[in-house]
Amino acid sequence: MKLHGKLAAVLAISTCLTTPALADGDTITVGFATAESGFMQAYDKPAQDAAMIRIDEINAAGGLLGKQIKVVTADTKTDRAEGAKAGLSVIDQGADLVVVSCDYDFGAPAALAAEAAGKVSFFLCAESIKAGIQGVGPHSFSASVLAAVQGATMAQWAYEKKGARDFYRLLDNWTEYNKGICDGFDWMLPKLPDAKLVGEDTFKNDDASIAAQITRIKSLPKEPDAIMLCTMMPGAVSAIKQIRAAGITAPILNGSGVDGSYWLSAVPDLSNFFVPVQGSIYGDDPNADVTKFNATYKTKTGGDPSSQYVYPGYVMIDLWAKAVERAKSTDADAVVAELEKMKDEPTIFGTRTFTPELHHQNQARYLIVDVEKGQPKVVDQWTISEPIPVSALMK
Amino acid sequence: MTRTSILRRTVATPVLLSLILVALALVTYLIGSRPFNQTMIDLFIRVIMVVGLYIFIGNSGVISFGHTAFACLGGYMAAWLTIPPMMKGTLLPGLPSWLAAIHLPFWVAAMIAAVWAGLWALIFGRILMRLSGIAASIATFALLAMINTIYSNWSSVTGGTSSVVGIPIVRALWPYLIAAVVAIFVAWAHAISRAGLALRAARDEPTAAMASGIDIPRERLVAFALSGAVMGLGGALYAHSIGVVTPDTFYLGLTFTTLSMLVVGGMSSLTGAVLGVVLLSLLIQVLRWLEAGVPIGTSSFALPNGLQEIVLGIIMILILMRRPAGLFGRSELTLPRPGQGGTTPRTTAGTPP
Repeated sequence: MKLHGKLAAVLAISTCLTTPALADGDTITVGFATAESGFMQAYDKPAQDAAMIRIDEINAAGGLLGKQIKVVTADTKTDRAEGAKAGLSVIDQGADLVVVSCDYDFGAPAALAAEAAGKVSFFLCAESIKAGIQGVGPHSFSASVLAAVQGATMAQWAYEKKGARDFYRLLDNWTEYNKGICDGFDWMLPKLPDAKLVGEDTFKNDDASIAAQITRIKSLPKEPDAIMLCTMMPGAVSAIKQIRAAGITAPILNGSGVDGSYWLSAVPDLSNFFVPVQGSIYGDDPNADVTKFNATYKTKTGGDPSSQYVYPGYVMIDLWAKAVERAKSTDADAVVAELEKMKDEPTIFGTRTFTPELHHQNQARYLIVDVEKGQPKVVDQWTISEPIPVSALMK
Repeated sequence: MTRTSILRRTVATPVLLSLILVALALVTYLIGSRPFNQTMIDLFIRVIMVVGLYIFIGNSGVISFGHTAFACLGGYMAAWLTIPPMMKGTLLPGLPSWLAAIHLPFWVAAMIAAVWAGLWALIFGRILMRLSGIAASIATFALLAMINTIYSNWSSVTGGTSSVVGIPIVRALWPYLIAAVVAIFVAWAHAISRAGLALRAARDEPTAAMASGIDIPRERLVAFALSGAVMGLGGALYAHSIGVVTPDTFYLGLTFTTLSMLVVGGMSSLTGAVLGVVLLSLLIQVLRWLEAGVPIGTSSFALPNGLQEIVLGIIMILILMRRPAGLFGRSELTLPRPGQGGTTPRTTAGTPP
């Protein structure tokens, strides 16, 4: 029975390796069920670093409710089944707040595990309405702003400030995020008097060429006043390059997904290119605290923030900690009730609002970054005139 | 040799394999850790899927790359049947109204999902089972790509590429254990049935088998439909284990994970299918713990993140170098008889005495 002996040994080893989790009454625990490996790591890690900065600040100032915040982590490996395990793992380690992956699809299994255990969960930077009540449950929140707000912001800002009237809409229907940006644009456009859609088209992120789509833009009687480009990395660079190479110089409006200067060298001298951001990584944010945060981030991680997607991590801990202070407890229902009372709650990246219907931002201040000759800088800020209703988001 | 004697001589295999799974479940119960419980749920689901693969691949000798498609069919069927009707209305507006109004308990849904997947396996198999060898493998791969494309794009019914949520999550271990045991017994019953014996005869000696009057496409079709149903059951339970389904969960990643577990364990052996999963899953788990860090004295020892996949790959290569037919080859786990070890060559595999 050699085989049985081996099996028994494996079982014995696995039993020894499992250490029981101990609850600790003197600390408050934040559990990160995020990707430490796999492609989501590139999104989760920066936002998590930002969250750690806020946690360190709170601990240095005496902690939360007089207790230090302890951090526990579990790797989702950018895998959904592992995500569920990671969620359960941080809950077993006593997490009072479960922080899950940036993306709804990859964060949902851990968030659902937290929901079932009656814990508050926060998506690091998911921008789909499903990341919250609609797709997880009443204890789930997202720290970012809905993708639709980005599209609506760009449409209204270009209309008001750039005098754009004839819009063209180019959608990369690869992800929910891309569709979300264009959904927001679609909602805003009819509200703008005499603005009209002169054409629309779709492509896929991994299309090698969008020549057909470009030909259709070129064959319009007159170049559109603005092109709403709903796409994300990595396909965005190729699309932008092809549009400019074809001689189309119209302003290109984008979602926040293309923020960052890391790719700009691929499209030399890019101009007339506009991106909405929650805070500026370029050192010119109107709020000096953001620039200070960027410096702290550089000291802690050794690099500048690569895009605005680091900021939601900081906002998340900031808001949650405030709710815990006000609820005087980490009890999930009490904390959710306090979060839902937040209306225009100030953060260094603008105000945030949660309601019992929506645990996400359907209206938020965005800074407008303009790229001119390959140099990005903040030129304006804009808040859409009215929040996008939940019914328009749930289609 | 009569049927009853085959039954008596081979029944020890599924019983022993089931006992190993029961022992794992008991250990999990005693440990009482939720992530470990989830790991075991994962393990049992893999056992179901790999046993599903074995029913067809092991007995027919035709490698199928398409069985994950049946898990996809099962997973989505479970989602359609168990998501609360209110949520279905907004998430999946294209469902027929009778399906949108249905709300079944998970175990009923899982059984229907298995039948549904088996039915489609029967339909596809009717066409595909005429092919043999590499042509059949490629055709099954095309089947996988086709199902994946349909489920990724039929947005109003499947939710497209977005996650379908609202599936009730079942965190109790025993339903998965029962399903895995059922899968093992189904595989065993098929293997010793007339159809199973005929199919293995056709695998080893197709010409002789045909000459003996075996209708090879028909026997393959039986195994294909049965394995499709078991995969469907696995897919349905996967959906209930994490509460989310997406088309890309049931695609290349799962296909290669399950196939490699079957190959490492031994394609032609039920023991190989089950213990391949158990051993590889436990290995993965141990590597995970090492990655997370193990306290040794005052310091802690941790492997760099991502090393788990590399070490797993190296170990799998080593196993296949040393034992090209997999860990168990064609052996099955049986009760020791005088003068023999725990594993015996399968004299029961249809070879004449």
